Amino acid sequence: MRSRIAAPAVLVVVVALALLVPRLGDYYIHVFALVLINVILAASLRPSLTCGQLNIGHSGFMCVGAYTSALLAKHYALPFELTLLSGALLAAVVGLAVGYPALRLRGVYFAMVTVAFVEVIRLIAAIWVPLTRGNSGLSGIPKPNLLGMTLTTKASQYYLVVGLAAVTLFVLWRLERSRLGLTWKSIGLADNLAQSLGVDIAAHKLLAFMVGCFFAGVAGAFYAHFIRFLFPPEFGFLVATNILVYNFVGGRGHFVGPIFGAIFLSLLSEPFRGSAYETIFFSIAMLMTILFLPGGIITLPEKLAGLRWGRAASAPTPSPAG
Amino acid sequence: MTAALLLQSAIIGVSIGSIYILMALGLTLMFGMMHIINFAHGAVYMLGAFVIYYVFFQGGAPYFAAFVVAMVLLGAFGYFVERSVYRPIKGGIEPTLVALLALTTFLQAAGYPVFGQLDKHVPPVFQGTRNVLGVMISVERLMIIPVAAVLVVGLYLFINKTRLGAAMRAIEQDKEAAALQGVNVHVVNGLAFGIGFALAAAAGALMAPIFKLDPMMGEQPLLKAFIIIILGGLGSIPGAILGGLMLGLVDSIVATALGAEPAFLLSFVFIILLLLFKPNGLFGYAQ
Repeated sequence: MRSRIAAPAVLVVVVALALLVPRLGDYYIHVFALVLINVILAASLRPSLTCGQLNIGHSGFMCVGAYTSALLAKHYALPFELTLLSGALLAAVVGLAVGYPALRLRGVYFAMVTVAFVEVIRLIAAIWVPLTRGNSGLSGIPKPNLLGMTLTTKASQYYLVVGLAAVTLFVLWRLERSRLGLTWKSIGLADNLAQSLGVDIAAHKLLAFMVGCFFAGVAGAFYAHFIRFLFPPEFGFLVATNILVYNFVGGRGHFVGPIFGAIFLSLLSEPFRGSAYETIFFSIAMLMTILFLPGGIITLPEKLAGLRWGRAASAPTPSPAG
Repeated sequence: MTAALLLQSAIIGVSIGSIYILMALGLTLMFGMMHIINFAHGAVYMLGAFVIYYVFFQGGAPYFAAFVVAMVLLGAFGYFVERSVYRPIKGGIEPTLVALLALTTFLQAAGYPVFGQLDKHVPPVFQGTRNVLGVMISVERLMIIPVAAVLVVGLYLFINKTRLGAAMRAIEQDKEAAALQGVNVHVVNGLAFGIGFALAAAAGALMAPIFKLDPMMGEQPLLKAFIIIILGGLGSIPGAILGGLMLGLVDSIVATALGAEPAFLLSFVFIILLLLFKPNGLFGYAQ
């Protein structure tokens, strides 16, 4: 029942944001565009998490998408539609190369490999100077264009990311509701049981992971043309953990959890974006959530309702999985 | 690369490998017993180095006293983390990993306001160089090898010859059966956390006089330790030791020849290939 109400509610929020934000001025447009990038990243981590795979390297795939799109647009002047797609596809292909060997094993191998992967991508971006300009940073990235028109104003770029986020969320939501999504969920809940029913768990985990990488590439490509400057340390381990934090703090029990987590945490941490206090805030939010609210913030209303009706009515903590 | 340079890189490789072994041993011990990967290991390494900075350099205590303080303090911290993070989660592997990840980013980020933005340096403890097999090696780096060896042998004896060690091995084999035999699983898990953290602190304390200190300094050794335990097989202690030596040698020799970054990229590619063809590691066993 809840999902019937929640899905249109998210839609309304997104549309409301899209209509209202540009009136607030360039600063808010910028902030909300970054929030929407985080929403895409958070939602795209969900398929992997649903399969029970802890991907701690999502920012690495964002980095692949960002550099691919930026370099294609800068050197070959390709349209944004094409560079975006190339970035996202390359991110998915890199996901295949990393995920194929790592996903056949138990989850911790995958978690460790993805952590190392972030560092590998960051290093490649830092030392392949002729291509990426290394740690000097890649600048002069063209503004995004759509159907041949360059989106010069911040507001138009903001509408672009609203569109990208809407498409991403729609696709991911449809996937989650499909038979494929159910299979992913079954793997996350009991992979040996799923396997005994004939589910190819390695292939399904890989597919879920690659879908996530594809949309991380989409987020990266937009980021590249929006910020117009790429710097390898921007795609480090901390960004990857933040994406996990959105999922866990928001709540993993429902599709809107990561979206809510990304919006809530990005806005709340905005005053100290980029400083050490942002990370401290995220870390504490994460630890507190895991220890005291395992279902994430989306389960808070239920918990509070349970408290109000006394101990007898308080339901057991909902399973955070799936 | 001349033979002398090769030999020099090899000896330095053994010394770096010893640090990696100290890191990997705690990780693999904790994995064997609890099936978790301690992401906070790198942050503990960093804290170990900062204990040396404050107790030895600022406080003026003897180096080895500061070394013991680092191990004891962080060992106690490890027990505390088991008690306050691992135990309340009640064995959920994914939430535990994420909680440890959050602990890591918290310790790293809190390091900047607490320790200051600037890199810290600890003055050398052992001055000078020594002639080993015809090449000159700094005593500082040489000293790492015997200290690490003592800790590794001590851990080996503890695990294999004491009752608590037997309890750890029992948990590794079967947690429920161990509990039925009267092993207090919580306390012994806490002990494993303590030992793992103390070894990571020892590694950081040994490296403090050699490298600059900053809150992110533990990230590289942590990634190396990941590569080692994948190489040696998760949960395998001999695998961690051999893997650590191998990676130390490869790292030092490749880094001397090509630079540190290609050495790291190479080891990652090697790990991916290893997972393709020998997924349980060189010394691991199928589970």
